[in-house]
Amino acid sequence: MNKAILSVVLGAALLATGCSNFKSDTESTRDLNDPSVSGRTLAEQVCAICHGVDGNSKNPVFPRLAGQQPAYLTEQLKAFRSHDRSDVLGYKYMWGIARNLTNKQIDELAQYYKGQTAIPGQAKETALVAQGDAIFHHGVEATSVPACASCHGPQGHGHDGFPRLASQHEDYILKQLSVFKHTNDRYAGMGAMMSPVAYNLSGPQARAVAAYLSAQR
Amino acid sequence: MNVLTFKKKFNLLHKVELMAVPMWRTVARKVTWQGVSIGLLTTVSAVASMDAAALPLFARQTGQNCQACHAGGKFPELTPYGRMFKLTGYTLGKRQLIPIAATLSFSSTSAPSASGAPGGAQNGGTGTQANGTPTFDKASLFAGGKLTDSIGAMAQYTFNNYSGSDDNHQAGRIYSNNADIRYAKHIINDQMDLVWGIDVNNNPGFEDVWNSSGVYGYGVVPGAVGTGSAVLPMLLSQQLGQSVVGAGAYAYWNKTLYVDLAGYRTGDGVFSFMTHNYNGQQTYIQGTNPYVRVALTHDWGASNAMIGYTYLDANVYESGAPMSGGGNYGNVGGPVDEHRDNMVDFQYQYLSDPHVVTVEMEDANEQVLYGGGGATDTSNAFQAKASYTFEAHYGTALSYFNVTNSSNNVTATNPGGTLSNGAGAFQTADLGSEGWTPEIFFMPVRNVRIGLQYTLFSRDNGTTLNASQNDTTFLYAWTAF
Repeated sequence: MNKAILSVVLGAALLATGCSNFKSDTESTRDLNDPSVSGRTLAEQVCAICHGVDGNSKNPVFPRLAGQQPAYLTEQLKAFRSHDRSDVLGYKYMWGIARNLTNKQIDELAQYYKGQTAIPGQAKETALVAQGDAIFHHGVEATSVPACASCHGPQGHGHDGFPRLASQHEDYILKQLSVFKHTNDRYAGMGAMMSPVAYNLSGPQARAVAAYLSAQR
Repeated sequence: MNVLTFKKKFNLLHKVELMAVPMWRTVARKVTWQGVSIGLLTTVSAVASMDAAALPLFARQTGQNCQACHAGGKFPELTPYGRMFKLTGYTLGKRQLIPIAATLSFSSTSAPSASGAPGGAQNGGTGTQANGTPTFDKASLFAGGKLTDSIGAMAQYTFNNYSGSDDNHQAGRIYSNNADIRYAKHIINDQMDLVWGIDVNNNPGFEDVWNSSGVYGYGVVPGAVGTGSAVLPMLLSQQLGQSVVGAGAYAYWNKTLYVDLAGYRTGDGVFSFMTHNYNGQQTYIQGTNPYVRVALTHDWGASNAMIGYTYLDANVYESGAPMSGGGNYGNVGGPVDEHRDNMVDFQYQYLSDPHVVTVEMEDANEQVLYGGGGATDTSNAFQAKASYTFEAHYGTALSYFNVTNSSNNVTATNPGGTLSNGAGAFQTADLGSEGWTPEIFFMPVRNVRIGLQYTLFSRDNGTTLNASQNDTTFLYAWTAF
């Protein structure tokens, strides 16, 4: 008898909750195929799992998005959606997430992350950071590497389609430089500009720049 | 060294994966039914080439690679993302029109003893596979995924090619495997991050997301060797799996504290669709049996860790079936043995690219108090596993188990008049075992895994004498589509 009651109660509860949720609960849904869901809800319910609610991810596999330039983020999400960006981790994690995002949702996501405050990492090696500082602001004349600051801004905050790099994970910056250097996976859009820059940057120089940027606010 | 600096130019596997969609579309246009009979090799190859076009259920739903949810793309180890996917009720992504997927597993087992593999929990009995013979082990059909914004499920039906024997011939059977139905909410505000949910499942521990219970324990690959002759605590043995149904509630607060409380009852009546056990036998339990799970978690950088505790108190009818003449379950009245399990577990994970490491340990203790007359038994099991994957394609793992059992002086043939129905119920001898299992595996594409395990027994049947005779080589191929 108890089991019968338990069955009925559970069944009724499941049905009740199910019926009430057949239309998207736009405040807490994780539905990636519903254009009525806001970018904020998607950021909190889906993106936050890897990128953090405030866009400050912990795992360097996933970039920090807090304070990111909206134009850059919009271009990247659209590139994932169209498969124009195909670096290994990008396609493994982001193609599926972005496949049904609407332009409106993408714009809202970009604005959400622009509104978050970036938390910088801690600088580890002073000499390395100083070297990175010099490369970032003055480039490497011997190999014709331009100053990163000329496009990404003197503080690495970026502007328009040029991404914010300050506070970004060191490892993430290194991997993306490697993608630009060795592949065409991010060649679409403004990414094409980075290939010659990354090509002329040596491994130690890339590590220095990444170490410097990750510690900037 | 930054591996990525050289890997992209030479990483053909990556390119193959990207090319898989147009390749498969081309292949699909040319496939005829006559081609289906070409054989096992062709089947596996075809499944491999289906990679991007026909992914397993959850990958289709999320559009993501297996690697998003499974550490290094290797089941069953879950990433923090995979755990959240499960805790939020399998509801992330895009609801599928046909929410099904399937897995197939093939293997070859070689052991010096004539009976073949020593019969772990996964292969359903002793000597089910002839020495060194390639066999088709199991096929599973998965259904579920996202049902509504808050409800999702994962239900598995399995065909086990070696589930039993009829007239001295191995017989395959279809049975209900693990099933899990959830309602979940994720509340995020300035003060907290709270996931809570209600869960119904048919295997204590299946609801967990750290794979410490027997469901995803030692030798999880279908047909794998397991831990030999030892009597495992119920949390690891899965004795209650597909026999019971439990309902519970769980909460995960600020990605720090996880608590799960559930009660299990014999799964019959309306729930019997979840308890069609593979051998047709059902373990009956008395009343509602508590399951408690608490875990503390922390993540930093590319690492995350968990330390947890699990408690299960199961009152199991010794008869294992309704009493003769007693009618249905409600009339079972025989002796009841109380199995009281306590388990402490730990897990550490390092998730980076291209290196992924998962280390897990479980230390479980079971006290059995026999209802017929006061005799007791104990089982202590320690298991540990470390897995490593590189670029989500290549990997290795090393597992260790050490199980000790008590030896009851009340034997089955001489119950001493104190146990009313104890035939075979208690441990009349120490069946403990100890051993290691190194493994190497390769995942050419994300939904195919080929692996080789070798299990070395340093103790089996409670003795080190001739234990190595049970050393077993296990070669397997697994695919999902």
